Amino acid sequence: MATLNEKKTCSERMENFRRFVWNPETKLFMGRTLINWVWISLYYLAFYVVMSGLFALSIYSLMRTVNPYEPDYQDQLKSPGVTLRPDVYGDRGLQIYYNISNNKTWEGLVTTLRTFLTAYTPAAQHLNINCTSDTYFIQDTFDGPNKTKLSCKFTSDMLQNCSGITDPTFGFPEGKPCFIIKMNRIIKFLPGNGTAPRVDCTYVGEESPPLEVDYYPLNGTFNLHYFPYYGKKAQPSYSNPLVAVKFLNITRNVEVKIVCKIIGAGITFDNVHDPYEGKVEFKLKIED
Amino acid sequence: IQEDHKLSTLELEEKYGTSINKGLSSARAAEILARDGPNALSPPKATPEIVKFLKQMVGGFSILLWIGAVCSWISSGIQIAQGAESPFDNLYLGVVLALVVILTGIFAYYQEAKSTNIMASFSKMIPQQALVIRDAEKKELPAEQLVVGDIVEIKGGDRIPADIRLIVTQGCKVDNSSLTGESEPQSRSCDFTHENPLETKNIAFYSTTCVEGTATGVVINTGDRTVIGRIASLASGVGNEKTPIAIEIEHFVYLVAGVAVSIGVLFFIISVSMRYKILDSIIFLIGIIVANVPEGLLATVTVSLSLTAKRMAKKNCLVKNLEAVETLGSTSIICSDKTGTLTQNRMTVAHLWFDNQIYSADTSEDQTTQPFDQTSPSWTALSKIVTLCNRAEFSPGQENLPIMKRVVVGDASETALLKFSEVILGNVMDIRARNKKVAEIPFNSTNKFQLSIHETDDPDDKRFLLVMKGAPERILERCSTIMINGKEEPLDSEKAEAFQTAYMELGGLGERVLGFCHLYLPENDFPDTYPFDTDSMNFPTSNLCFVGLLSMIDPPRSTVPDAVSKCRSAGIKVIMVTGDHPITAKAIAKSVGIISATSETVEDIAKRLNIPVEQVNRGEATAAVVNGMELKDMSSEQLDEILCNHSEIVFARTSPQQKLIIVEGCQRQGAVVAVTGDGVNDSPALKKADIGIAMGIAGSDAAKNAADMVLLDDNFASIVTGVEEGRLIFDNLKKTIAYTLTKNIAELCPFLIYIIASIPLPIGTITILFIDLGTDIIPSVALAYEKAESDIMNRRPRNKRKDRLVNEQLAIYSYLQIGIMQSVGAFVTYFTVYAEQGFLPSTLLGVRVDWESNAINDFEDSYGQQWTKYQRNYLQWTGYTAFFVSITIQQVADLIIRKTRRNSIFQQGLFRNKVIWVGIFSQIGIALILTYGLGHVTALNFTPLRFQYWFVAVPFAVLIWVYDEVRKLFIRRYPGSWWDKNMYY
Repeated sequence: MATLNEKKTCSERMENFRRFVWNPETKLFMGRTLINWVWISLYYLAFYVVMSGLFALSIYSLMRTVNPYEPDYQDQLKSPGVTLRPDVYGDRGLQIYYNISNNKTWEGLVTTLRTFLTAYTPAAQHLNINCTSDTYFIQDTFDGPNKTKLSCKFTSDMLQNCSGITDPTFGFPEGKPCFIIKMNRIIKFLPGNGTAPRVDCTYVGEESPPLEVDYYPLNGTFNLHYFPYYGKKAQPSYSNPLVAVKFLNITRNVEVKIVCKIIGAGITFDNVHDPYEGKVEFKLKIED
Repeated sequence: IQEDHKLSTLELEEKYGTSINKGLSSARAAEILARDGPNALSPPKATPEIVKFLKQMVGGFSILLWIGAVCSWISSGIQIAQGAESPFDNLYLGVVLALVVILTGIFAYYQEAKSTNIMASFSKMIPQQALVIRDAEKKELPAEQLVVGDIVEIKGGDRIPADIRLIVTQGCKVDNSSLTGESEPQSRSCDFTHENPLETKNIAFYSTTCVEGTATGVVINTGDRTVIGRIASLASGVGNEKTPIAIEIEHFVYLVAGVAVSIGVLFFIISVSMRYKILDSIIFLIGIIVANVPEGLLATVTVSLSLTAKRMAKKNCLVKNLEAVETLGSTSIICSDKTGTLTQNRMTVAHLWFDNQIYSADTSEDQTTQPFDQTSPSWTALSKIVTLCNRAEFSPGQENLPIMKRVVVGDASETALLKFSEVILGNVMDIRARNKKVAEIPFNSTNKFQLSIHETDDPDDKRFLLVMKGAPERILERCSTIMINGKEEPLDSEKAEAFQTAYMELGGLGERVLGFCHLYLPENDFPDTYPFDTDSMNFPTSNLCFVGLLSMIDPPRSTVPDAVSKCRSAGIKVIMVTGDHPITAKAIAKSVGIISATSETVEDIAKRLNIPVEQVNRGEATAAVVNGMELKDMSSEQLDEILCNHSEIVFARTSPQQKLIIVEGCQRQGAVVAVTGDGVNDSPALKKADIGIAMGIAGSDAAKNAADMVLLDDNFASIVTGVEEGRLIFDNLKKTIAYTLTKNIAELCPFLIYIIASIPLPIGTITILFIDLGTDIIPSVALAYEKAESDIMNRRPRNKRKDRLVNEQLAIYSYLQIGIMQSVGAFVTYFTVYAEQGFLPSTLLGVRVDWESNAINDFEDSYGQQWTKYQRNYLQWTGYTAFFVSITIQQVADLIIRKTRRNSIFQQGLFRNKVIWVGIFSQIGIALILTYGLGHVTALNFTPLRFQYWFVAVPFAVLIWVYDEVRKLFIRRYPGSWWDKNMYY
């Protein structure tokens, strides 16, 4: 079979390319006449306008179908995540290391807590109501202003010793630091099945002596009247209830691994893939 | 060092324990065969398998993927050095990419090995035969079974089956060019002429060809011990020239790789300048490259080509070279032989003339009756002459075969007459037995007649019947009367004129005409016992009674006219090249349509207008019959002019050497030329042609070796089938590529938008690989089974320099139109999934950094809910799955629209290609298995998707289909319009 020989020299290729860009004989610019370029551009312009229109229409109708108050599905949010403040992440998750004698090492941590708690000052919470009942705060109607639902007040003073009011340094310089545990919001999630879920912090693995912890509010519970959450639109001023933990007997100069779980029906903390589901693990090292 | 050329015949016989006359005994031959092994060269150690394998690993797109893999490893190395949290993600991606390259490489290697095997099995279907004397008998044996000491006979056209010491030669010449490079044929004789065995004339070497003459010789070396077997370097003589399809595919690889690399680099720069980390930018680069490279495509192309080669073998075209399949499709000129290819290669009675009237006979291949009027007594008389004055006989033992297929001992025209009368009258041998022959004069060139005298089968009629046939004018000279309606009438000038007219007319049809006459000898003068003497001719041979004329021709094969008209509508010029007489050639050309009914040659015009040939305006003549003698004196410009100006050309009385000139002439016109050939002398033309076609039955070994394709049934129509298949595979490859390229955009856009709009990544690199190498593979092979569109043989052959496999329109339409539609559809699904899970589209924009941060485990969605990193990841994988499913669903629509390029799907039929449905079901099946079966394997990044998300992209799939139908409608409605030029690929 005879074969096609298409070996070209470099200059021939360059010449061909130049001719492709502008061919003076046929008046072709990049293989098309100028008017042809105009036509094809107009066509593509129209095509993309229509496609964008279709896309916009699809998104518009999608927005029309979704419920503004709550999402259609909560497939990934079966059990709430748990976070810790202050949150300093190292290469392998949360790592809180500081030196008692060097206040530069813990001032940042204290600032984080203080900033975090600014959302819980009475001023910030003034829109919310005081709740006293210890049951779920179910609201089937919009009782709040502007078609909203009411939210319960959570102020930082409820954290007592860890509120930053009595002890602005949150116990860091004494080596008895406060940490704040927060449970992620999930719409219409009812934790604990009637009993308030509580925080429980322990060492990971066996350590002696066992970890001594003070929980604030008392027993480290999240009061049930903060649940359920009705979503940003229904409860614009809602703020997560918090639990503060104060570790009393951390051995100095040793890295310890602590896990704080939330104990309550409907909250799982055994998902091997998700280290923050129903629990938060962190390393703590206090030097002096 | 061989001394055999110095030995005498007797010494040879002694040395090899053989006999010149009787040959070896079969038993002895079997012993030697067991000792020496078969007479074949051990396959050349051309490229070691490992090298072939490695070539697959780095060829085509593999190199791009290797770059991707290496980039992944580097970035994972950097991550490990930095002590990042999950450094193994990239390591793992790199391993997957490397695995993909290796697996596709293995597959491509396996495919190539398989197609090589197919080609090898094809060449086994055309084995070389050798004529051997064994056990004192001549036998046809496969050349592989030859052993040392065998006596073989060779004739012109044969390939020499082993090294042979010649004993008897007759004008024998061999072409040693494959061995020594001498292009001149070398004469061979029995004499020892040179000390050096390579120079001496009495040895013929294995694998050279005998060009002319005959010879007999003793096999002195077989297999690897032959001279050529010892020259190892010869095995690696195959050049690495590129076939058209190889060029097309290379062009395509460059194009796609160019797009991939330039988009990759462009976005690398964009992402760096958008202050992404270099490491992240490298990861994007990998994603873009993987999205752009159609990993499974090259393997698909090989599969499609070998499928077609197999299909063509079923239709009697054996393709020796896989890529020749496609070359055949781009053929624009076919130079065809006449005898055997266009015609049936057997004389058949075509016309009769008796009672002053011409009758036509049936000339088809499978005639069983003759339809013309057989009631006239003249026909009875004529049929008697035809039956009796004939020496041809059927070979015994063929009673059950159809008459036309029986083997006859006798020359071509006698055979034709015998079969003709057998068809009409039935048992001819019986008629001859009843009309006993008493004397006979066979045909010779001085008499130009044949005569025999018979007793009649009428018991009351004791007269002898003298029958005679021969050249019409000679027969007429011997006649004084002529039979009209059974009555003898005097042969006056008016009747002689009628005879002349009929004779000229039949002759003008290119037919061989024979005249028939008889005479009943008077009983008185020629009694029962009369001693007829053929030497002294003691019986009358003049004043006979003329009965009629019969004319014969080698008729065209019945499938040929149709095939020629197909070629014509396909824009393929059919040129007849024959050694035959111009009149016969022209007649056959007219009857098969190579010269159409309305067109005229210069000579025809001259005759019609009654002017000399020189005065005719040559432009008016569309047809031309060129005589080999004229061709000899022509310059190449003159030949070009003929090839250019006439659409219908017949070359008559041409020699095989002139065939080469004709092929070159056609190629100068820029045509892709297919040439048929059978003889040794055709080899140069076959090699020179873009595609050489050898005849499987009539072809010599030399021709078969030189050809790219072998026609098993020698039928011209099979070439046209081949052309159709070649065009089909080109079309179907186009469709496959268009199908495969489309989704690249839908795979690429997520990365681009991810970089620019900083949304969560819509589709992962691994997921892309699952599309490219999972769901899309079977459908793209299925397109190779697509039936031809109705116009496949109604358009001009492709211009190999302009009409590329992947042209601008194809790329643009796939990338910028259908691909964009697919992307939009997939993105709508993506946004739907995120919105229904809590992230409305507006929230997603610009979240990338926080979204991917491991340090944020209370990421807020549009509803105020908070998400951990893993929960977001899982949602992201759900997004991947949704994107994947949407692409798959829209690829179903893409597959359906790619079935046709011009016709509506409804014209083509949705269900004619069943394999497409296999493709669609496999596509959806694989997607279902991945989502629901493997949805829990975290490493694969699939999640069990909510079922309704499968349907989000369906409206877009429908849109794709409707849009493409509209495109095709406009293309059909407005051919040549702006739309046609820009939208037809």
